[in-house]
Amino acid sequence: MRRLLPLLLTTGFRLAVWCLLTADLSRLNLLIGLVVSLLLPRAHSRPLPLPALLRALGRSLLAVPQAYLEALRLIFGREPVEQETSEVTTDGAIPLLVFLDVFRITLTPFTIVLGLEDGGRRYRIHSLTPGPRRGDQTP
Amino acid sequence: MTLAVLADHASLLLLGAGLVFWFWGTWPLLESRSYLSKLHALSVADTLGSALMLLGLLLRIPGQWPLLVLALVALILWNTIFGYVLANCSLASRREPES
Repeated sequence: MRRLLPLLLTTGFRLAVWCLLTADLSRLNLLIGLVVSLLLPRAHSRPLPLPALLRALGRSLLAVPQAYLEALRLIFGREPVEQETSEVTTDGAIPLLVFLDVFRITLTPFTIVLGLEDGGRRYRIHSLTPGPRRGDQTP
Repeated sequence: MTLAVLADHASLLLLGAGLVFWFWGTWPLLESRSYLSKLHALSVADTLGSALMLLGLLLRIPGQWPLLVLALVALILWNTIFGYVLANCSLASRREPES
């Protein structure tokens, strides 16, 4: 299952994009989409741990409302202070998990991923913190 | 009938909010602020503002939902990738200042 998961995910994603693009769920179109998504080249991928993937997906979804809150705080709040922090990666060896982490961090306006450091074990993050009078430090 | 009117108003509200986010986020590009703080503001405009607009359009023209959802997926993918690339470029230029 762990080995099959990357194949299922890439094929499923490509098929979903195909269906959205063509907006046609007829059997023939699904078949063409499936063939196309299987024929397109695939990157060699490592086995993907499902629990870690689900956790990363959940955290990414939670980041969406948080992003809007932070956007409002950035627009209406005090002049923010810039600083650099770092955060441990979920798993620096699996591209999908890195993407989800980068998405989660970059989506929120207060934080941007600058890159990987420490051999892929930590993200270097540029963050804004709301003005000095407010004491809370959002990472 | 009332539901359609409600959806219409909600979509106007979302489109307006998206437009406000867009202008608020792109305005700093013209100012002399640090590169990364411009990038922070752009993430408000590009990702969050555009997503609000797409939701507004989704309420307005629900018949076109496959393309709008595709646009939302593309927005998420490319904004994440380009945001990372742009931020990473700033890191590279900081390491070698005169190159």
